[in-house]
Amino acid sequence: MAREKYATNVKRQVAMVLDLNKCLGCQTCTIACKKMWNTDTGSGYAYWNNVETMPGKGYPANWQTTGGIDAEGKIKRGEIPTLDTGYGRAWTFDHQEVFASSGNEPSQKIWIQPKEKNVKHGANWDEDEGVGTYPEDNHYFYLPRICNHCEEPACLHACPRGAIVKNEENGIVMVNQDRCHGYRFCVEACPYKKVYFDPKRQVANKCIFCAPRVEEGVAPACARQCPGRLRYVGFMDDEDGPIWKLVKKWGVAVPLHPEYGIGPNVFYVPPMSPPQLDMHGVPLDEPRIPMAFLEQLFGPAVKDAMNILLEERERKKAGESSELMDLLIAYDWNENFKLDDGTREVFS
Amino acid sequence: MKKKLDLISAPTGLQPGNYVKEAYVDPREPSTPKADVEVTQNGKAWQLTLSWDCPDPVTDVSDDTHRFIDSVAFMAPGTPDAVWITMGEEGKPVEAILWRADREAPLRVVAEGWGTVERNEPPEGWTVTSAWDKGRWTVTFNIAEWPALEAHQQLAAAVWRGAARNRAGLKSVSPGWFPIEA
Ligand code: SF4
Repeated sequence: MAREKYATNVKRQVAMVLDLNKCLGCQTCTIACKKMWNTDTGSGYAYWNNVETMPGKGYPANWQTTGGIDAEGKIKRGEIPTLDTGYGRAWTFDHQEVFASSGNEPSQKIWIQPKEKNVKHGANWDEDEGVGTYPEDNHYFYLPRICNHCEEPACLHACPRGAIVKNEENGIVMVNQDRCHGYRFCVEACPYKKVYFDPKRQVANKCIFCAPRVEEGVAPACARQCPGRLRYVGFMDDEDGPIWKLVKKWGVAVPLHPEYGIGPNVFYVPPMSPPQLDMHGVPLDEPRIPMAFLEQLFGPAVKDAMNILLEERERKKAGESSELMDLLIAYDWNENFKLDDGTREVFS
Repeated sequence: MKKKLDLISAPTGLQPGNYVKEAYVDPREPSTPKADVEVTQNGKAWQLTLSWDCPDPVTDVSDDTHRFIDSVAFMAPGTPDAVWITMGEEGKPVEAILWRADREAPLRVVAEGWGTVERNEPPEGWTVTSAWDKGRWTVTFNIAEWPALEAHQQLAAAVWRGAARNRAGLKSVSPGWFPIEA
């Protein structure tokens, strides 16, 4: 039986584009989000925004292998990651012990380290590991992830309580914790694993796309705090805004795992990479990040997106003008964000 | 009244939302196939006891993301024709008393169809005790007054086995209302 399709009554959809060519993996976005929204003790492990190294297991571990839909469009049964092997428990530290040990010989000093032993995973577990052989083809890149605020949210349709809602005004998907009974079908069903469960409060929680900020015309904290200036925020249908330009006009921003079939509203400009080298150190025609891997993540449309990026980069290199490159370079940071017409996001 | 109940799995095809319907298959056997029920009335007060085999009790789920709690509920119709399997429908409510293994007090539940369940702290005089011994749970509700049960003299029971990840509509239930008179 093919999956039922759902009509939504969303008037406008807010969206984000992230340029993976510019992510530093600094986790400023992760911390900006965590400190602002998500400090409950039962959610210590949960990062609404996380940045993972790709290729890698990601966070939670192996999230790409659970849930989604199968080749016939039927919903697959997902899994609920565990704290130990899926997300990784939040680490605790004995700062006092470290302070007290200062001034001793280096060999006697106690260095900062998690109290937990036998840790099996964490939110940034395989940072900078990547794959390949140095110097021929070793590579990795950073993939920042938030909730995709999908067209047909798997979490919303999985909830028997109607506790997950998609806002009609801006398409933001949120959990109504007053209605949530902690059943976690949302956690299971979301193929991006972007709904979390607070076992202390027994309720689900997730990225709210900084809804109170968006309502005031201010971009989400993860985007606003990003020192790489790689995040763009606006409405999908705003032809003067950065989202429409990057997704529709230029076609260089593509969604993560479009084959999951639920219409994600977060898009990525794929990472260009230097060439692989042969055994003598001579550059080959192949990029270090194989196109096949990018297609696995972003679907076949990533190929065209990459070609357009490379062409425009050449134009810019040749001294010609390129609206696309200017937007991606973020000469004027105000161009990155366009929510409320009256709001200038960044003051220079 | 004492009664042996053969329980069935609540059908996944009837569950609200698309996920459980499509992603789950109905188990061949209910997670909890049998239960013993005992009902006694003393004036307006009721004592309802359910006991069932549970080799792997789950009494605390506060320290991980994937664990589910053992629970049990007795449900009474709010109107003579309230439907049991859907937990009532609009205008034909059901009422229930729910025990969770991680709570001291029971919860009072009202519903007019699946997805409408409201849980609240119980009225004064609604209490519960529980004991797990030799692979078996025994849960006893003491209810000072329950007008719906008094009026309709019928109950249904549901058992959620945490170790089998039972929750919401994934549960073992009595196959319909049963009368509380022998
Ligand atoms: S703040 Fe920006 S540059 Fe830093 S990790 Fe997040 S997305 Fe990447």
